[in-house]
Amino acid sequence: MKKFMALAIAFALSLSFVGCGDSSANESAGSTDQINNEASEQEHSDNDEKLKISIAQFAEHGSLDNCREGFIDGLKEEGFEEGKNIEIEYQNAQADMGAANQIAQNFVNDKADLICAIATPMAQACYNAADGTDIPVIYTAVTDPVAAELSNENKLSEKNATGTSDKLPVEQQLKMIRAFMPEAKKIGILYSTSEVNSETAIEQYKEKAGEYGFEIVESGVNQSADIPMAAADIASKVDCITNLTDNTIVSNLAVVLDAAEKASIPVFGSEIEQVKNGCVAAAGLDYIELGKLTGKMAASVLKNEKKANEIEYEVISQSNVYINSQALDKFNLSVPDDMKESVIEAE
Amino acid sequence: MAITLSILEQGLIYAVLALGVYITYKILDFPDLTVDSSFPLGAAVSAILITKGLNAYLCLIVSFLAGAAAGLTTGIIHVKFKVRDLLSGIITMTMLYSINLHIAGKANLPIFNSENIFSISPLKDYLGGFNTLFIIFLVVLAAKLVLDWYLKTKSGYLLRAVGDNPTLVTSLSKDNGTVKIIGLVIANALVSLSGAVMCQQQRFFEISMGTGAIVIGLASVIIGINLFKTASFLKPTTAVILGSVVYKACVAIAISFGLSATDMKLITGALFLAVLILGNLGKGKKSNA
Amino acid sequence: MLELRNIKKIFNQNTVNETTVFDNFNLSVKKGDFVSVIGSNGSGKTTMLNIICGSLPIEGGEIIIGDRNLTGQKEYKRYKNIGRVYQNPSLGTCPSMTLLENMSLADNKGKIYGLGRGTDKKRINYYKQLLSRLNLGLEDKLYVKVGLLSGGQRQAVALLMSTMTPIDFLILDEHTAALDPKTAEVIMQLTRELVIEKKITAIMVTHNLKYAVEYGNRLIMMCDGKAIIDKSGKEKEEISVDDILDTFNKISIEKGN
Repeated sequence: MKKFMALAIAFALSLSFVGCGDSSANESAGSTDQINNEASEQEHSDNDEKLKISIAQFAEHGSLDNCREGFIDGLKEEGFEEGKNIEIEYQNAQADMGAANQIAQNFVNDKADLICAIATPMAQACYNAADGTDIPVIYTAVTDPVAAELSNENKLSEKNATGTSDKLPVEQQLKMIRAFMPEAKKIGILYSTSEVNSETAIEQYKEKAGEYGFEIVESGVNQSADIPMAAADIASKVDCITNLTDNTIVSNLAVVLDAAEKASIPVFGSEIEQVKNGCVAAAGLDYIELGKLTGKMAASVLKNEKKANEIEYEVISQSNVYINSQALDKFNLSVPDDMKESVIEAE
Repeated sequence: MAITLSILEQGLIYAVLALGVYITYKILDFPDLTVDSSFPLGAAVSAILITKGLNAYLCLIVSFLAGAAAGLTTGIIHVKFKVRDLLSGIITMTMLYSINLHIAGKANLPIFNSENIFSISPLKDYLGGFNTLFIIFLVVLAAKLVLDWYLKTKSGYLLRAVGDNPTLVTSLSKDNGTVKIIGLVIANALVSLSGAVMCQQQRFFEISMGTGAIVIGLASVIIGINLFKTASFLKPTTAVILGSVVYKACVAIAISFGLSATDMKLITGALFLAVLILGNLGKGKKSNA
Repeated sequence: MLELRNIKKIFNQNTVNETTVFDNFNLSVKKGDFVSVIGSNGSGKTTMLNIICGSLPIEGGEIIIGDRNLTGQKEYKRYKNIGRVYQNPSLGTCPSMTLLENMSLADNKGKIYGLGRGTDKKRINYYKQLLSRLNLGLEDKLYVKVGLLSGGQRQAVALLMSTMTPIDFLILDEHTAALDPKTAEVIMQLTRELVIEKKITAIMVTHNLKYAVEYGNRLIMMCDGKAIIDKSGKEKEEISVDDILDTFNKISIEKGN
């Protein structure tokens, strides 16, 4: 008897919590399921038929959120609009690997028409889950698709996948720092050992730093709790700090800024969100643009123009310099004359 | 159908981990946090060896042994240096984090383009979509049968006795410490094996994949033991395996109903608590004895 | 058989709570002796047992059993030739294992606990035979978990288990104290039978003066870490419960209780 009660309560519990969640979203998601199931058996011309686009995002994070927004915009520009001809389902794994796998699996089980996977681990989880099905996986915010084995050296995927890479514009960043700080010698970089993208980026920095007369001092942390010490330590050794897109460090940006301010050195960001939050400047990718580009790739797959594995993954090379004037003033830095035209104030 | 298949796959992979946690938590009464790192340890070992071209099945064995070494470390810290159980696990877990990074070489190591235990299965062509499940099932079955057999040996008897009544083990002129170490070795070997299978199934190693592994293990054990307590024809090991599948099913159902991962831990905790309250008998009985 | 030489035991040494339990304590037990030990709380009875078994370290002195010097040896090693039954019936058995598994465990004492089958099927009849002499109906409960047995049944099993393999020395640590009078009587009978039958040297700590007088061939009364009464042989046979009570009262008066 007891075990039945236990089972019943366990299930009731999980269901009731679901109920507390975004109930309107559930309803719409549920109803789309039905529509799609019915519709998929009919011809594509049917007006009621909507394609199911499932977005799987690894973590909650300014840049990743921008990617998602951009992706939706990109689809829209190509004529795929939510509620009209597509339905979008979105799930976030909150940086939990187990949840990421489960979400990927669920999207595949629900027979999504296309999966958009945001950030490397999510891309890998979806890539694996969709293997053996004909569901295309379009990834974005993957720093190095080749290292992540999502693509081969020719920028094409072995499976039904493609996407965009958010490789940091390292050279532009170095050039920008040199322009702002002609005297600086050492640049400090904090990264977390758990993020593979950060290691790749540091290698790039080390490779290029010499050309601009810099020396890179890096310091790895294993967890958020290590950041205050590591930041204080590195701030005392360098002329400025530059950030990567390292999730752990970016989430603790305030701590890094605080340590840098105590040592009277500026912190350069790697994207606009960080500049908004107090970094002096960044030669950053526009993640909305990156998302849009991804959305357009997805659109061409949806239109059956090309298969995902026939599309090379793309890297956006163009970057903007974002500045935070208030922060610049704090460190007596000013925008070099030749950049005054092109910089964008981050607000 | 597809969702059932994925629940069974995931549930059974974690069932191997749950069997390990069953040994430490239920038999040894040892809260072993090593699990959070021995799970990715198995994955790291498997991933790196696969990229080096070792046979995927042999990788499982090496992962199993690596896990055994992790358990041995926790055991020695606890028994020989007299560090408290919880702390010994935490110490090994912390150290293993770095070691895992060193083993894999980086925080994320994909093996999409390499062979794995599923792709080289000789039965692949016959089983089609069930190939993965079948291989996982074989691993779980092997782990369960070997564990069942072991618990019926003299050494296994002693292991069961040590968590139950360490005084008796001393009276039998056996060192409690050695027996505990053996238990931890077997438990973490199983956990690591589970990590290895997981890594080969998801086809990449990710350093964060062990986060919360102990919770999954504990939940599976508690759900399994409490739900199937009245079904006395089931061996505890079978109950634990079923517990793992039930747990994964709850999670999968929750997600497919649109539950966000934000609330996931809350649900996990609530589910955990509900089963504990409903079945708050197992441990109670034991201490009244 | 057992020699305790110049034992020194201090609790909480070098703290304000420092208490000396034994200072130069000596005890010698002959082979085949059955010694009853009585004494008020805090007199050092149980501490003595713990010192013999190694559950407590000592600050000085030597412990010798037979030709083995146990001083400083690890607790579990000492139990090679020692059996012990505790006051708490659950300490002598494994509650979550069946009676048969418990018996099998005890039967293997002194041998290697390897990967052989835990229970030797050929021994089951022997176990049944052992259990049937308890007259508790336990021979039919081989597959019952010991945790489900009563305290008296468990204590009987614990006694059987501790004497199953050849041991030199049996320690009975108030082993009837937690039982009802009738069961206690049964357990005491069984103890006597086993000790005589297996020619085991035994030390029994008890609060029950009647048992102390009735059983065994030597009686020791302890007070403040010393043996204030030590009678054996004929002298022991002549001693009565009243004599002991007198001594108890005298001590109490001296101590001002």
